[in-house]
Amino acid sequence: MPITMGLLLGLSFVVSLLALSFLIWAIATRQFALDRAHAATVFGKGGADGPDTDGTHLFDTTGIDRVSARPVRLLILGAIFWLVLGSTFGVIASLKLHWPDWLNQAAPLTFGRMRALHLNLVAYGWLSQIGIACMFWILPRIFRTPLRAPQLPVIGFWIWNIGVALGALAFSQGWTDGEEWLEFPWQLDTLLVLAGVFFVVPLVKTARAREVDHIYVTGWYFLAAMVWFPCLFFIANLPGIHYGVEEATVNWWFAHNVLGLWLTPLGVGTAYYFIPKIIGKPIYSYSLSLIGFWGLALFYSQVGIHHLIGGPLPTWVVTLSVVHSVMMFIPVIAVAINQHVTVARNLWALKESLPLRFISFGAVMYTLASFQGSIEALRSVNTITHFTHYTVGHAHLGAYAFVSIVMFGAAYHIMPRMVGRDFAHPGLIRLHFWLVVLGFAIYFFALTIGGLLQGLAMLDATRSFAESVILTKPWLEARSVGGTMMTLGHILFAINVIGILRKPRAIAQSAVAAE
Amino acid sequence: MTRTSKQTASRNVKPGEDFEPWESHNRVPLLVIWIALALGVWGTALLFQDQSSYSVAQGERAADEVAAHDAPEGGAALFLANCSTCHQPNGVGVRLAVPPLQDSEFAKAGPEVVAQIMLRGIDGPIRVKGFTFDGHMPSFAAALDDDEVAQLASYVAGRFGGADATLGRDQVGELRDAHAGSGSWQGGAELAGLVPGLPTQPAMPAMAQAGPDPAISDLIFAGKGDVWSCASCHGGLGQGAESTPRLAGLSQGYIVKQLRDFRAGERQNEQMSFVAKELSDFEIEGVATYYAGLRVDSTARPALGGDLARGERIALQGDWSLGVPACFSCHGPSGFGVGADFPALAAQQPAYLASQLAAWAGGHRNNSPLGLMDRISRALPESDRRAVADYLASLPAVPAVEQKAMARIEGGGDEL
Repeated sequence: MPITMGLLLGLSFVVSLLALSFLIWAIATRQFALDRAHAATVFGKGGADGPDTDGTHLFDTTGIDRVSARPVRLLILGAIFWLVLGSTFGVIASLKLHWPDWLNQAAPLTFGRMRALHLNLVAYGWLSQIGIACMFWILPRIFRTPLRAPQLPVIGFWIWNIGVALGALAFSQGWTDGEEWLEFPWQLDTLLVLAGVFFVVPLVKTARAREVDHIYVTGWYFLAAMVWFPCLFFIANLPGIHYGVEEATVNWWFAHNVLGLWLTPLGVGTAYYFIPKIIGKPIYSYSLSLIGFWGLALFYSQVGIHHLIGGPLPTWVVTLSVVHSVMMFIPVIAVAINQHVTVARNLWALKESLPLRFISFGAVMYTLASFQGSIEALRSVNTITHFTHYTVGHAHLGAYAFVSIVMFGAAYHIMPRMVGRDFAHPGLIRLHFWLVVLGFAIYFFALTIGGLLQGLAMLDATRSFAESVILTKPWLEARSVGGTMMTLGHILFAINVIGILRKPRAIAQSAVAAE
Repeated sequence: MTRTSKQTASRNVKPGEDFEPWESHNRVPLLVIWIALALGVWGTALLFQDQSSYSVAQGERAADEVAAHDAPEGGAALFLANCSTCHQPNGVGVRLAVPPLQDSEFAKAGPEVVAQIMLRGIDGPIRVKGFTFDGHMPSFAAALDDDEVAQLASYVAGRFGGADATLGRDQVGELRDAHAGSGSWQGGAELAGLVPGLPTQPAMPAMAQAGPDPAISDLIFAGKGDVWSCASCHGGLGQGAESTPRLAGLSQGYIVKQLRDFRAGERQNEQMSFVAKELSDFEIEGVATYYAGLRVDSTARPALGGDLARGERIALQGDWSLGVPACFSCHGPSGFGVGADFPALAAQQPAYLASQLAAWAGGHRNNSPLGLMDRISRALPESDRRAVADYLASLPAVPAVEQKAMARIEGGGDEL
């Protein structure tokens, strides 16, 4: 058999699968005995002594949260600021798709800039920042030691937010690097990189000082994300290196990996922590966690090129990406069993805990978004869905219904523990939940159906291109309705978080009286 | 109340703040392992298979190249594909329209003469076997390579002229270089210099060398006011590209009708409607005359992945199971066009042709006389539309209208 590209590819694929299986097997068996003994010593003392909904356990019993509280509070507030702003730009961009003549008086108001603002503010301002907040809250807790160098993330917070604000200003003036997901001018990227250093150093110091041997699965995702994202961000943003087809390849390698190797580990890690934390039961299987994590690490890095199906790339690059996209079924099924089984056996907790409602909804959406993504990467399906609104629906299923909604739940869980009092109006949290869930349902189904119709119309040469655009109009209007509901939900979220941070007058007075 | 009931059911009690998550050690479900194995096999197979489809394509391309060079009956096959629609399969031509090849003075003159005629084409009157013809033969220089010209010329000279000599690929290459850029043979009068002992050939009509009106020329090459130039999309020679049609050699009447239809909104196209609305009748006629007289080698190549054999069948014979007549039954032999109603199809850009067939099928173009094309296009499935467009793109370009007519029109410019 002659040595061909296909033979090399197929062999290296088989070898990497074998290596992955061996790795997972080795870790699973080696850790087995050690971990069980360990689990007994560490978790044995923890007694379940009552529900925490009544406010009796809202106080920090370990002294760990007190140290993390300041950077986490700042990061959550910054994230919410960009969320409200970014989703407003999203609604404006959505409205412009069916009101093309609205707000077109000046260049900064045009669709192209509104869309760039929306994407970057929600990706870097909201999702990244709330994810980093979760890292700072969760990692010290699973390491059983207070956060080290807690003043550094505060500096990082200011640099990051100045960077995002300057970036927003730059987009609105038309200054971008001109590639989707890489719009930040590389000069401003340096600010984000610098802020990243201020975030990573204290977390690495905390990890080195940890008081546990075994790192819980959330820790793997967070630590890996801290390695993956800087590598991706640095390589893709280096100016003057990639040109032409290669530039497009790097662009989509980065753009999809931002989702898979940055936002996904943040969301999956957060869900992996809070689901058992709130329910009070362990997750289903350590071996499945290993498959989920290492599967993501191996398969995800090649996934992005499926955005260039039909493009002028070597066929094998695209095929490799298609294969890897479909292989993502394996880690996703593993994570799904681990998380959903734990929730399904404890459905009572969904009634008890509002944060869990957000988080387990988000976790289910991760499963669905990933299944949909794997199927969408097949050439036969991509032929229809590429260049349609269907893809936009899918992107929001992953980045919004999964990551954002998990993060809402995380914030609702963290805030009472941070300030030591409960939310005054749980009804507003429930309203937030239903607004974003219903809004998203409208958004997603409208874009999915509209996108499929659009794709079929574009493939039919007997129908004019204009027809494929016009038929999407009602679906785009429905999308604006859904998006507006989601944005209203975000405003409620901001009200809830700011509300719990403000010291109630009665308590303030009684505290003074006690002194 | 709820709190008491919860605490009695101790399994469902909420955890304390001290609880930190951990993993229990359930086995990986067998189903997950089976799914993983199946996906691994599928992925490996796809990576292998993808490469094999690539090697198959490479192999087919190499085989095609070998076949083109070594096919034993190449000349006969090429003759049927390129010559027989006009000169007829038995080479007797068409009375009063297409000169015969059988026993003609030119075929008898040997393959070198035949090759030179094929490379340049003929414009103007010619006398063959005692009859005068005033048609036009296209140049095959762009449509056929040296090897194909050599095979075809040897075949035609051998079969119809009884010549024993054959021509090699290298000789054709030399002839091609020698005749490069010299334009078509100006009728039998010029060919008399090439072939000694011809019967008296009719004289070429005097040609007017005047170019188009300067205003028309400006419009074509520089645009006018808000209207961009014709050449900016249709190319400097009217050769077209992709979904922009080739204009060179379309009949004047056809171009005039289409521009008027664009202007009146009877044919839709955002760009052309805008342009046509700014044109006067004089400009429309001038532009049409200019393009009708251009003689440009084909730049079209099959590009849509259509089945060429199927396309050829539709063009030559139609498909009566679908109720589709042969393209050439109306658009003329070899698709050179007939009058103002049936435009030339040969060498038209395939993406444009396929888009127009799709537009008729979808009801977006409906300015065809008697709705002929609407019905035909609707009957053709998408693969057939691509097949026939690709086949037509493989044909040599349309010969220009008579120089005589050009001279008359341009000479008449003064009277306007």
